[in-house]
Amino acid sequence: MKSSNPFALWRWEKMFGEWQMFGEGFLRTIEVAALALILALVLGIIFGVISTSNNKVMRGIARVYVEFFQNTPLVIQVFFMYNGLAIAGIRLSVFMIGVLGVGIYHGAYVSEVVKTGITSIPVGQVEAAKSQGFTYVQYMRYIILPQTIKIILPPLTNQAVNLIKNTSVLAMISGFDLMYMADSWASSSLDYGPSYVFAGFLYFMLCFPLATWARKYEERLKRKDTARIPFDPSEEAVTC
Amino acid sequence: MKKVLSALLILCLVFTLAACSSSTGSKDTATTDGSLDSVVKAGVLRVGVKEDVPNFGLRNTATGEIEGFEIDIVKLLAKEILGDENAYELTPVTAKTRGPLLDNGEVDLVIATFTITDERKLTYNFSTPYYEDAVGLLVKKDAGFKGLADMNGKVIGVAQSATSKDAVQKVADEKGITVSFSEYATYPEIKAALDSGRVDAFCVDGSILGGYVDDSTMILPDRFSPQQYGVTSKLDSLALTEAVDGYINGWLEDGTIEGLITKWGLKY
Repeated sequence: MKSSNPFALWRWEKMFGEWQMFGEGFLRTIEVAALALILALVLGIIFGVISTSNNKVMRGIARVYVEFFQNTPLVIQVFFMYNGLAIAGIRLSVFMIGVLGVGIYHGAYVSEVVKTGITSIPVGQVEAAKSQGFTYVQYMRYIILPQTIKIILPPLTNQAVNLIKNTSVLAMISGFDLMYMADSWASSSLDYGPSYVFAGFLYFMLCFPLATWARKYEERLKRKDTARIPFDPSEEAVTC
Repeated sequence: MKKVLSALLILCLVFTLAACSSSTGSKDTATTDGSLDSVVKAGVLRVGVKEDVPNFGLRNTATGEIEGFEIDIVKLLAKEILGDENAYELTPVTAKTRGPLLDNGEVDLVIATFTITDERKLTYNFSTPYYEDAVGLLVKKDAGFKGLADMNGKVIGVAQSATSKDAVQKVADEKGITVSFSEYATYPEIKAALDSGRVDAFCVDGSILGGYVDDSTMILPDRFSPQQYGVTSKLDSLALTEAVDGYINGWLEDGTIEGLITKWGLKY
């Protein structure tokens, strides 16, 4: 008799015999995550910059967007897009719902990250830039944003990793992503042990390198920053 | 890169060790875990049941209790095994949770429209079937479907457990039509997907379907491969399985089960 253990070896063999199923789901997850990440970054930067602007109406719009999407569960947003909008006559494909749902949801978080990054740069720098004749776009591009990258990179990576994991919400609306495939295999074959461990491993393989890369990149940027700049007395003499 | 590799190796090792330790664990406790002795000792029969299937196991929103055909079977079993028809404890399960709950010992038995298949017999023990039902299709009235034959290229919503999917796939192949499937964790989710037009048909066992018919939907006359429900227990709790099987057989013979089926209006 075969072992009844949920992690028994024969269950692993059976599962890897169906590896294409997991491969398909994995690919779907990567596609959705990549597109959703782009959308989240675009929305995040736009709304992040808007929320630091002087225009009250613009700030208000950004506030409503952020508060609405941060304070309602992603599951409900996605469920609404899937069934609610379909009843209203707007039928988005599950792929689109994945990209839009997860992208807009994380856009709200990225927006907050970008906003904190910008406001963490001392106001004096903006004033100094303005006094030198920099326009808004110029000082954002050359002075403020390059400095914010170092500050916002760690929380931004957190968002990217969370975004990848949150694409698993698609499993609920039959989205054929990795989680859906794992669920499907787990409930049809009853090999839930190998199925979920393997799916978890694949998510790990996506998220771990990303988190590691971001950490390394951040360290490199910081090293560059603290590198000693040779002091040249002649230059000072000229500017004074 | 070396560091990453070694980290991965450690991870693999942890999983392997976890798998090994859990396999020895289940062997040690095989004599008591989920067995008849432990049920008698605990004085309570713990059973996993459905709470979203009308007439089989449905939570009554007025009383908060789960009621239905399968809960009546639980009561009968509790009375036979423990001498008290109220000595039971119900745990709501879904197709996804019933296996793990049985494996980790949270429940002694699962009586939750669990279809018997040869593949599943490798994983759990099933009693003699206490109910037999065929898969049916629920569709919107205004969609104009007369049967599965009209559903070429349509999407069929099924629950996350392959029996109904396989059944429909087989018939579709015979009829030479192609259908695709969307799986959902619970029945209400499939009904919501049918209402919103995400799927064209809601496909599960006929009697379960009966609880979801409303003014805008109807059940097609098509019926596919009969599904048999069995009381499920862990593979190693043999005494409990045999005892349960004995009672079920007795009730099948003396008409007790037939009476319950009539009571809950399960014949269609």
